[in-house]
Amino acid sequence: MPWLANMSEGGPNARDEDMGDQVEQVLRESLRVAPLTPEALARIRAATIQEWEQASGSNIESKTFRRALWGSLAAAVALAAFLLVWYLASPGDSTHFGQIARVDVGETNVRFQFVRQRTLHVGDTLRTGDKLSAHGPLLISLSDGGSLRVAAGTVLEIAGEVQARLLHGQVYVDLPPDASSHHPFRILTHEGVIEHVGTAFEVLENDQFTRLRVREGRVLLHRDTERIVADAGTELTARSGSSVSRREIDTYGSDWSWVAALAPDYEIEGRPLLGFLEWASRELGRPLKFSDPHARAVAERTILHGSVRGIRPLDALSSVLATTSLTYQIRGDTIWIQSGNGT
Amino acid sequence: MGAGEQRAFDEFFRSNVPRLVAFTTRRSRLDPASIEDIVQNTLIKAMRNLSSYRGEASLFTWLTQICRHELADATRKAARQPAYVSLEEPEQVLRLAHQLRLPQYREPAAQVEAELHSAAVFETLKSLPERYALALEAKYGDGLSVDEIAAMLGVTTVAAQSLLARAREAFRDRWIASTSTSSAVAGQHE
Repeated sequence: MPWLANMSEGGPNARDEDMGDQVEQVLRESLRVAPLTPEALARIRAATIQEWEQASGSNIESKTFRRALWGSLAAAVALAAFLLVWYLASPGDSTHFGQIARVDVGETNVRFQFVRQRTLHVGDTLRTGDKLSAHGPLLISLSDGGSLRVAAGTVLEIAGEVQARLLHGQVYVDLPPDASSHHPFRILTHEGVIEHVGTAFEVLENDQFTRLRVREGRVLLHRDTERIVADAGTELTARSGSSVSRREIDTYGSDWSWVAALAPDYEIEGRPLLGFLEWASRELGRPLKFSDPHARAVAERTILHGSVRGIRPLDALSSVLATTSLTYQIRGDTIWIQSGNGT
Repeated sequence: MGAGEQRAFDEFFRSNVPRLVAFTTRRSRLDPASIEDIVQNTLIKAMRNLSSYRGEASLFTWLTQICRHELADATRKAARQPAYVSLEEPEQVLRLAHQLRLPQYREPAAQVEAELHSAAVFETLKSLPERYALALEAKYGDGLSVDEIAAMLGVTTVAAQSLLARAREAFRDRWIASTSTSSAVAGQHE
């Protein structure tokens, strides 16, 4: 074997280098082996990949199972926590705000604390934390008496038993004269808090300003440190960064037609005509006057039968008086009731 | 198998299997079909025991440990095989035909000499520490770079260079010793 003899020849240094080269050459020549054929490698690959898939599948299955198990436990804990928060946060009877009395057209959605969302129907209860998105006009019967009318496109958040935050849109508050003075009804707006003092008023909120129109009685606007009083027939407009402007307005007319359209139904059955006339007067924003004592006497003693449900106040007035000996005329801002045809 | 898993498998196969074939071939006198069986069994067992791989050794080192067991089993089985081959059994005929098919034709004398040479080299390698043998195989048999050898052995590049130098020196010393003995023995017979 010549390669054996060659590795032992040469001087000390040259021999070392030479031997080093030869070692590498020997290793290269001897350690190179013929590879398997591509077909053989393909067979190995096919068998291995099958095992790989089974092994991966079982691992994945196991991991998936563990993940699912932990996921289920986490979900159960989260659900329990959620239910606890829900239970604690869900308002009791004392936080009832009101009840849906009418939904004319379009639907209104309500969302509770970012979780529940449902379409409101007549009879549904509103509670603290609810956030309404009214796509159509809406009438709410308040728990403490009175009503809240909500125009289409309004977003309203129920902030308490007797307060609501107007985020956008238009509402009309109509409270009875005996409404609680200890817990006055409030509308919260960007420009301040509007507080009733036994009255009916409208609030409009948009991106530019907050507008208050008082139709009856008196309203307080709390704005920063200001306390602004507005009486019936007054409009206050508050813009961000500027003072509140004030002007006189009519309490009747086309500006209030949306309010009249949402007027709560008045049940006339078995009730005196005088009560109906007073209701119509308030809803139309016009004072009621009798042309003569006889007309008032007739109104007091006439008991009505039937229904005007769903009829707007002015139409209802016409319809009801047509069945009596009385007539009406609108002169100026006043509704005049008279006997016969007024002649 | 997802796209990511497919890529991982492809990478695993590409970087390990050819070297595992070479590792097996160097350590046995078996035919290619047997080598194929050993490598395939090694990989199947590796797949089934993937969860037991802790990463303490490199993946290839772990595969070679499994492969050594397969080689030992194959050697024991070969020892129990009859010394003859029946040409009436189609599988045996095919296996024999495969054995007889040489990848590169060589003159019989040159082939014998090359095989003896390789066997002698490998016997010397076997006498070295395992890491030396693996490093030399990877460098001169599989053509890996020093960086790749470092990754395979789980050491730094500098450590791999040092290891290779020591491995070459150890191989040279033992190779010279073994060839001197062979020469002496050969001289006594001449």
